[in-house]
Amino acid sequence: MKKNVLALFAGMLMMVSGIAKAEINDEAALKFVRDVTNDGIENIINANISQKEKDERFAKLFNEALDLDFIGQFVLGRNWRTATPEQRKEFIQVYRQLNISTWSKRFDEFKGKNFEFKGTTASNSKGQAFVNSEVPMDQGAPAKVVWRVREKNEKFKIVDIIIENVSLAITARNEYTAFIKNNPGGVDALIANLKTKI
Amino acid sequence: MNKVVHYGLLGTFLIFGTGCATGNAGGEPGALESYNRAVFNFNYQFDKYVLKPVAEGYRAVTSQAVRNRVSSVIANLKEPISAGNLLLQGEPVDSMASVGRFALNSTLGLAGMFDVAEGFGLPQKKTDFNETLAKWCVPSGPFIVLPFLGPSSPRALTGMVVDYAFDPVFWATYNDANVRAKVNYSYAAIKAVSMREAALDLLDDLERNSVDFYATMRSAYIQNQSKLRCWKDADSNEATYDFDFGIEDEDEIFDEMEAE
Repeated sequence: MKKNVLALFAGMLMMVSGIAKAEINDEAALKFVRDVTNDGIENIINANISQKEKDERFAKLFNEALDLDFIGQFVLGRNWRTATPEQRKEFIQVYRQLNISTWSKRFDEFKGKNFEFKGTTASNSKGQAFVNSEVPMDQGAPAKVVWRVREKNEKFKIVDIIIENVSLAITARNEYTAFIKNNPGGVDALIANLKTKI
Repeated sequence: MNKVVHYGLLGTFLIFGTGCATGNAGGEPGALESYNRAVFNFNYQFDKYVLKPVAEGYRAVTSQAVRNRVSSVIANLKEPISAGNLLLQGEPVDSMASVGRFALNSTLGLAGMFDVAEGFGLPQKKTDFNETLAKWCVPSGPFIVLPFLGPSSPRALTGMVVDYAFDPVFWATYNDANVRAKVNYSYAAIKAVSMREAALDLLDDLERNSVDFYATMRSAYIQNQSKLRCWKDADSNEATYDFDFGIEDEDEIFDEMEAE
């Protein structure tokens, strides 16, 4: 009896540790984020090319590096479930464009800045990890930027960016949930409102 | 010392009530939300017609170099607040470093215009009584928007009041009521304009992209505050922003997050 209990306990322990172990290659995840930021800084922000060319290159990099289908689904929250396939598609599309246009306008702020990478932190979500980085500032302490990376089919994608402990995905989710709650137009009203911001 | 800490802790617990809601970014009681949104709108109008134009004017007539000197002077005047709180947080070495920074920057750094102490190997370590209370495991309490002052919490408000005890500007003007009022109001105004100027681009951007600016600010404030940890969890490696982010079992996750 005692043996059985022990065996059961050992089995449970193994299962727990098996689950807890992040199934993601931390080093490769860090290298992925470093490559993306280097590419962005060298070939877009600091590159001697027209703004139009910069915007095009950025849109391409953004779409390759970030999993917008995944993020878009998360930020819509429980409203994703009740949304029609057309609404889902349109929302993702608008959310993608909004993000691209927002970040494109802010290239100048990143001029002369660089990311110093500080290892990774495990996530409780399967196949995901946090890549930690710091951006030195002109004054005061460096800004902390954390990249949430997801590995799927041996390919890495960024699924969240956390600046000074503020997750862009959680913020957008809270914001959109509040908007839909207070608007009879629901998801359609949200999509219409976001369109005015692109 | 221990007694002071204990009474302090007891007092704060009495004020907040131990069972008070912790700051999660989820639901908010209706009455509190109505109040917060009303004050938020008031602050927004005040900002739009007073603070923001002044901050823009300040930006228009000064160079970045000048503004950096101003914010350095302010940062230096806040150094004793950090020094005192580092001591309360059980970091005597950092506290001494902070005292050293104040001495060096106030003199060699020309009244704090330049951060020479960093060059001497004493980097800035900014903190306040809100962070001290967080370290003492005092919960933040609910999110509240204060008139003029903006997003806050009972803990942050307590922190702000207690920090006056470490404020050199407050003590330097303590004996003369007339001078005290003038200097402290001017100092508060300069701080507000300098901070607002630094946040001009960021807040413009946030507002432009937001469909519900109040919800955005509330969420960001609560998340940012959650980085302040109780000393017992200080070594915890767990990220506060590590919510369940998988899509396979989405229904469950969404139910869970709604319930929070």
